[in-house]
Amino acid sequence: MSQLLVDRKQIEEFLIDEAAYLDEGKFSEWLDLFTEDSFYWIPSNQDDIDPNTHVSIIYDDKDRLEERVWRLQSGLAYGQEPKSRTRHLVTNVKVLDCEEDKVIVTSNFILVELRRSIQTIYSGRLEHHLIQTDTTLKIASKKVELINNNEFLGNLSFLF
Amino acid sequence: MINSENITQYIKDTAVHGDIYTDEEIFKQEMTSIFEKTWVYVGHESEIANSGDYKTTVIGTHPLIVTRDSDTDEVHVVFNRCRHRAATVCQQEKGNANYFRCAYHGWTYSNNGDLTGMPFQDGYGEEFDRCKMGLTKVPRVGIYQGFIFASLSEEGPTLEEHLGNARPYIDYVVNTCPEGISLNAGAHKYRFDGNWKLQVENTIDPYHLSVTHRSFFNLMSKKTGKKINFSKMHKNEKIRDLGNGHSLYELDGDLGIGALPFNLIVFPNLGFLGSQVRVTWPVSVNKTNVFLYPIMLKGASVEENAARLRKHEGFYGPAGFGTVDDLEVGFDRVMEGLNAKGKDGEWLEISRGLEREEVDEKGIITATSSDEISARALYKAWKKLMTADDSNVETRGKKHEPTVGRP
Repeated sequence: MSQLLVDRKQIEEFLIDEAAYLDEGKFSEWLDLFTEDSFYWIPSNQDDIDPNTHVSIIYDDKDRLEERVWRLQSGLAYGQEPKSRTRHLVTNVKVLDCEEDKVIVTSNFILVELRRSIQTIYSGRLEHHLIQTDTTLKIASKKVELINNNEFLGNLSFLF
Repeated sequence: MINSENITQYIKDTAVHGDIYTDEEIFKQEMTSIFEKTWVYVGHESEIANSGDYKTTVIGTHPLIVTRDSDTDEVHVVFNRCRHRAATVCQQEKGNANYFRCAYHGWTYSNNGDLTGMPFQDGYGEEFDRCKMGLTKVPRVGIYQGFIFASLSEEGPTLEEHLGNARPYIDYVVNTCPEGISLNAGAHKYRFDGNWKLQVENTIDPYHLSVTHRSFFNLMSKKTGKKINFSKMHKNEKIRDLGNGHSLYELDGDLGIGALPFNLIVFPNLGFLGSQVRVTWPVSVNKTNVFLYPIMLKGASVEENAARLRKHEGFYGPAGFGTVDDLEVGFDRVMEGLNAKGKDGEWLEISRGLEREEVDEKGIITATSSDEISARALYKAWKKLMTADDSNVETRGKKHEPTVGRP
């Protein structure tokens, strides 16, 4: 691990801000956190799969992530009508590796979602690959390892 | 009591009664009259490719194990239930094992189902015949083009007869690749609080595409610059009632959701559409589990199969742009609406296009793709099985008084 150019506090603040965008419905601002060649990934069935040979729940490049956000804001995404209310709790933040401008950060999360009067708890491990630019951090990839990724899941049209 | 006679009150040629989606007795009757009578898909050979491979599955609500014999490579389908005290003997979704050992009292079975032993073997008398105490085998197993089916009924049509006119389309799925297909790319697994038939009906229902999935097709036209003319599309496209409950939707061009040029429903709960095999598991009258297995082409490049996966994920699965809207509109809202039971308002229409059906020499009925021909095909087979009273031959022909009147 090379010298960390950002401190852990700054990374935690970044993750908290990211979660706040999601909980407050500021999806365009959330999308802007991702680099142009980024991806947003939720593996299916198990945490460690090769997305080229195994299906994912979500494997969005930036284009598809833009479409996902466009859809949520289109007024035509019935899967979000009614909308999910969410609270993301991000914790156990750990800097796993760091080289040049790239930082790999893992964390645990609890996501409480309320929709159709049903409150559902999701949990798992997040792995963010962050790129440090002059003044800010950007997301090069976000992987969501749901602990129930091999269970029969409900409507996951909200954002993790 | 629901029986083979009064069930007819819930179904007409043009409509089905809302209670078929909500009544627990009707669900129980479906399990015995349909799932325990007809052929049901239990897995694909690629999932148990090697000697000793197994997977667990269900028919209706019966837990089963599908195994490939360690010695003979034969495929067996056995109930996942210890013959001693009923505990399931296999807990994993899939794996490889020569033996299944019950963790309760240690009864052990080979992977062909035979009972091979138990701890402290001295407690059973001469009457106890170990040969008869293997894991119970399902009465019939059939394999068509690598797709394994089982039937809990000793009698009835052969698998080939049951598949009937659906066979050439299953052949097509397999023959799209010279080296064959595999279902080893994992699965999307989702559930909903609704009746299993809603998912089967939704497998061929192009009428809803331009409405429920408008956002997806708006995205597609933004990307391709081409707008789909749904009115024209429905005129060009056909849906066919293939008989035995199976039906086919022939696509006119690429909708951007998968590789197959058709959607195929194989009665009662198997589907081929997009680039997937879809399996619908009834759990209870208002709970359903669904598997979507992406179809991978053996011998194709990693890039080609990866592109299939990405396209599949774009529309399908618990976070796919299409599936989530179906879950909300097609299932959640329908289940909610079914609680409204106004006079004459308890029926769900399946009549669209009834007057423009055409029948060919094979008896295949065809109409356009906005017509509800697939639902009619499903309910014809449903009615045939639900009204087939073979439970008690002596009572046949006698006037049966329902204990509960028509709701």
